[in-house]
Amino acid sequence: MKPTDSKLLDRLASEYVLGTLRGPARRRFARWREELPEVDALCRSWEERLSALTLSRRPHSPSAQAWRSIAARLGFNRPSPALRWVASLALLGLLVALSSYWNSFAPPRPAGVAQISAPGQPPQWRLEYFAEPGQLHVSSANGPVLPAGHDYELWALPAGGSPVSLGLLPVRGERNRPLSESQRLALAHSTQVAVSLEPAGGSRTGQPTGPVVFIAPLRSVS
Amino acid sequence: MSVSQTMSTADAKLAELIGACAKGQSQALEQLYALASPVLFGCVTRMVRRRAVAEEILQDAFVSIWQRAAQYQSTRGSPMAWMIAVARYRAIDQLRHERGAPVLMPDIPDAAAEADESGQLAGPSEAMERCMRQLTGDQQRCIEFAFVNGRSHEEISRLTGSPLGTVKSWIRRALRALRECLES
Repeated sequence: MKPTDSKLLDRLASEYVLGTLRGPARRRFARWREELPEVDALCRSWEERLSALTLSRRPHSPSAQAWRSIAARLGFNRPSPALRWVASLALLGLLVALSSYWNSFAPPRPAGVAQISAPGQPPQWRLEYFAEPGQLHVSSANGPVLPAGHDYELWALPAGGSPVSLGLLPVRGERNRPLSESQRLALAHSTQVAVSLEPAGGSRTGQPTGPVVFIAPLRSVS
Repeated sequence: MSVSQTMSTADAKLAELIGACAKGQSQALEQLYALASPVLFGCVTRMVRRRAVAEEILQDAFVSIWQRAAQYQSTRGSPMAWMIAVARYRAIDQLRHERGAPVLMPDIPDAAAEADESGQLAGPSEAMERCMRQLTGDQQRCIEFAFVNGRSHEEISRLTGSPLGTVKSWIRRALRALRECLES
């Protein structure tokens, strides 16, 4: 029997989307949704309305393994081109000891340190985060080759929050960069940083848009 | 929020990526995952309350998003609402198949009163917050338990200590009030 009462259908759609419509009634309504465009439209409207309840909640980052599993299940688990050449460069031993690139003008006591590298390989970048006066020191002895029209962008990964950009990474040399209050807060709540490959000039959305090529722990040292 | 509401920049980016997924571009799914997985993972962890199970659901959701990307039409709703629905329905299926009390995870925060900190993908909650405030406290709790935590009528009845019929009535009235408020 197909439904005709629009008020009843809307009520059922609301409870279907909410999740309280269960058992045989849920399965029957799911079939109606597949068969009847008007039922699908009601469900979409409720999904749109109620999704705001999710969007107002704190996001959580899954483990790095989750993406690898998805990629493997879909058959595109080959490493990205960026990761392949990064690994090749590391294997060729193009990296020299980063300690020689220590900036003597940097404050002496960093609050956090991160070494960014491919798994099991020497670091490509070394980061030092100074809580006071809020500064990030980035050094790279011989960073990975940068594909034309792209930049590497560094991200803080605050626990339970979305990535916060810490700016573009130099492929070679070192930079001292003042941090905004939001960047300092993000770093203070981060135990990891990430690097993504972005269009030249960096992400335009405020969030990583390109492949995340590195994730590294941010160690507290103070 | 109206389905026909103009898309935000973030939504437009997500819709573009879903479109690229429909064309088989695997890098688009990787970017989509980077942008949306924290929201979807947060959503399903609050429902199933076990990280390993939540990650399995997240994987299923993104496989489904990849496979159904061609069915998504940006003119019929925001991409994030669509992806949240894909993930939630998978979590509801999981909860339906589970028996026994779920194991509470200490690293999953209390769903109540968590303010979003990102601001990037969490735009359209203002109207909903305003409308939620117009509900009674009991109605708010029931909607939160059901949508955010994936609880059934019976579970909400136990959690609130209220009769089952009363819970059903609160939810029905709350949904009606929310629709009227959001469309006003």
